[in-house]
Amino acid sequence: MQYTLMEQARKRRNRENLVGYAFMLPSLIFFIGFVIFPMGMALVTSFTDYSMTTFNFVGFNNYLRAFKDPVFLKSTWNTIIIVLVSVPVVTLFSLWVASVVYKMSNLSSSFFRIVFYLPIVTGTVAVTVVWKWIFNNYYGLLNYVFKELGVISRNINWLGDPRYALACIITILLTTSIGQPIVLYVSALANVDPSLVEAGEVDGATNMQVFWKIKWPQIMPTTLYILVITTINSFQCFALIQLLTSGGPNNATNTIMYNIYYHAYKLNEYGYGNAMGILLALLIAVFSFIQFRLAKTDNE
Amino acid sequence: MKKLVALLLAAMMVLSLGSFAMAEEKTEITLWTYPIGGWGKEETVNEIIAAFNEKYPNITVKVEFLNYQDGDVQVTGAIEAGTTPDIIMEGPERLVSNWGAAGKMLDLSDLWTEEALADISAVSEAVVAACKSPEGVYYEYPLCMTTHTMAINYDVFEAAGALQYLDLENRTWTTENFEKALQALKDHGVEHTAIVYCGGQGGDQGTRALAMNLYSAQFTNPEHTAYTMNSEAGVKGLQKLVDLVNAGLLTADPGIVAGDELQLFANGTANMTLAWNASNASTYASQVSFKPYAMAFPADDGKPELAGGIWGFGIFDNKDEKKVAAAKEFIKFVSDDPVQGPKSVYATGFFPVRASFGDIYTGTEKESFKEFSVFMPFLGDYYNVTPNWPVQRTEWWNLLQRIFAGGDVAAEVETYINNSNPK
Repeated sequence: MQYTLMEQARKRRNRENLVGYAFMLPSLIFFIGFVIFPMGMALVTSFTDYSMTTFNFVGFNNYLRAFKDPVFLKSTWNTIIIVLVSVPVVTLFSLWVASVVYKMSNLSSSFFRIVFYLPIVTGTVAVTVVWKWIFNNYYGLLNYVFKELGVISRNINWLGDPRYALACIITILLTTSIGQPIVLYVSALANVDPSLVEAGEVDGATNMQVFWKIKWPQIMPTTLYILVITTINSFQCFALIQLLTSGGPNNATNTIMYNIYYHAYKLNEYGYGNAMGILLALLIAVFSFIQFRLAKTDNE
Repeated sequence: MKKLVALLLAAMMVLSLGSFAMAEEKTEITLWTYPIGGWGKEETVNEIIAAFNEKYPNITVKVEFLNYQDGDVQVTGAIEAGTTPDIIMEGPERLVSNWGAAGKMLDLSDLWTEEALADISAVSEAVVAACKSPEGVYYEYPLCMTTHTMAINYDVFEAAGALQYLDLENRTWTTENFEKALQALKDHGVEHTAIVYCGGQGGDQGTRALAMNLYSAQFTNPEHTAYTMNSEAGVKGLQKLVDLVNAGLLTADPGIVAGDELQLFANGTANMTLAWNASNASTYASQVSFKPYAMAFPADDGKPELAGGIWGFGIFDNKDEKKVAAAKEFIKFVSDDPVQGPKSVYATGFFPVRASFGDIYTGTEKESFKEFSVFMPFLGDYYNVTPNWPVQRTEWWNLLQRIFAGGDVAAEVETYINNSNPK
C-alpha cells in the first residue's frame, strides 16, 4: 500500500516536472540556440584563425596577440574606466533620485519615472543624434551655454579631444543607464517594511540610521541586481562609440566591444574577435563575482 | 477514330499543362544595394526592376537596401550564414578586394564581352583594371563612375579675393595658390576655411586626395601591393597639412567625418569641402544658400590625380545555376541595354563607364552634373584594390589624428605603413 502511494507520488512529481520542462522548452530552445551554443562556438573559434578564408587551430595565439596588442590594452583600460565611473555613479544617483521620488504622490512619481526612463525607450540612434548636436564643436549647445556662462572662452571639440571624449561618452551612457535602476529602486524602497522603519524612528534612530540600518539591507538584492546589470551594460558599451567616435580620437574612446566589432566585421578576423569576446566575458565574470562577494559581506 | 481523338485531346492537355508549367516557372533573385545615388532609394530601384520585368517577366528581383553604417556587418553575417544575396551593388574595394579575394564571388568574365571591354576601356582603363583581381578574374561588372573632388564656397572666395588663385577653366589650382587662397580667406575673417575631418573612415578619399596631391605622392605602388605614403612626397604633403593647421589656415577635426563636414559646408560654417561629387552636389543643392563650386584637389604641378569611385555589380557564389543566369540577365539589362543602361546610370547621379552611353545629363533636370565631367581627365589610379584595404582605411584616419595631435609626421607615417601593408 505504502509502496503504491509512493509510486503514485513519484509519478505525479514526474508529471509535474515534465509539465514544467514543457513550459520551459520554448525559452530553453532559444536560450540554448542563441546564448549557450554561440558561447560555445565563440570559445572554440577563439582558438582558431577563423576568417572568411581560413579556419585553423592556433592554440592560444589569439589570446597572446591580444595581450600584446596596444589597442586592445588601451580599449580594455577605457572599458574599465567606463565601468568604474558609471557603475557607482549610476547606482548612487539612481538611489538618490528614487529615495526622493518614491515618497511623492503617484502622479508625480510616475512623471519622474517616465522622465528618467525616456532615454531608454527613445532608441540609441536618436539619443546619439541629440548628444552629437549638444557636443558639436561648431554650433553645439554645450559650447554655447559654457561660453555664455563664462566657463570657457573658446569652443571645445568635446568628442574630438582625447581629454574630454571618454567623459562625454560616459555622460551619455549615464543618461541611458539610470532609467531602469531608478524604477527598480522606487519599487524596492516602496516595499520596505514600514513597521520596521516606524519602530526605528520610535527608538530614536536618525534618518541616516533608518536608511543604512533598515532600508539599505532590505533593498540590497535590488542593489546587487543593479550593480551587476549596470556593470554588464557598461562593459558592453558599443553603439555610442560606433555612432559618435569610432573609438577615437587616438583610441581615447575605444572599448573592448568596439574592438571586437572592428576586428570581426571590418577585418573579418572572427577568431581574434572571439578571443577578445572571451576575455571580456571573463572580465565581466570577475567584476560580477567581486560585487556578489561584497554584497554578501554587507548582508552578513 | 474515337480513340485517336481521345489520344490527341489527352496529348494536347498534357502539352498545355507543360507549357503552363513552363510559363509559370519563375526565378527569384535577390539584390542588395548600397546607397549609390538613387540606387539607395526604393522608388528608383523599383522603377528599374519594373522595366526589367517588362522584358523578363519570369525573373523576380527582391531588393534589400544597405547603408554604409552597418551594411558590411550584414554582408559578413550573410556570408558566414550562407544567406548572401545573388547580386550585390558596390565598388571594387568590396567586390574584388574583399569578398572576391575571399572566394565568395563568381567570375563575371563572360559578361565582359569584347564589345563591353572596348566600350569601357574607351572611358578608362583604370575601371577595367579595378574590376578584376590580380589574377585577372573579373568580380565586378561596372555601371558608373565618378571622380571625388573638393568644392569651395564661391561667394566667400569671391568676396575674399581668392578666386584669382584658381584656374576656373580647368577647375585646378597649385599647392602654392591653395595656400595663398587659404591666407586670403583668413585675412577676410573666415574662421574655418576647410576642415580636415578624421573622426572615422567616412569620406576618407577626400583627405587622402588632399594629402597625396599637395606634392604629387602616390598612395600605393603601381602593382597595388603596398602603401607608399611614406615616400618623401607623401610625408611632405602630410607635414604641409599639419603646418597649415598649426598656422590656423586649416582646421583639423578628429571629431567629425565627411557627412558632418558636408553639413558644415552646406550651412556655411566651413568654406570648402573635401568630400564633393555629383551626388553630394545634388543632395545638398537645396540646403546651400551660396554657389558651391567643384574644384580639383590642389597639386604642386597643377595636375591633380583624383580618386575615383567605380560602382557596379557582383554575383555571390550561391551554387544555383538558374539564379546565376537570372542575375546575369539582370546585370546585362541594367548595365548594357542601350535604353535602360543610361537610365540606370542617371539614377546614380554619376557617369557611365561605357563610352557609347555618351552624355546622359544634357537636357535633363540633372544638367548641372555635367560640370563634373571636366574632372574625368584627372581620374587617377584606382588603388582601392590594394590588399589590407579595410585595415589601411582605419589606419589612415588614426594617422591623421596622431599627426594633428602633435605626433612626428615621419614616424607616424611609418607606423601607419607598417600597420597597413600586408605582412
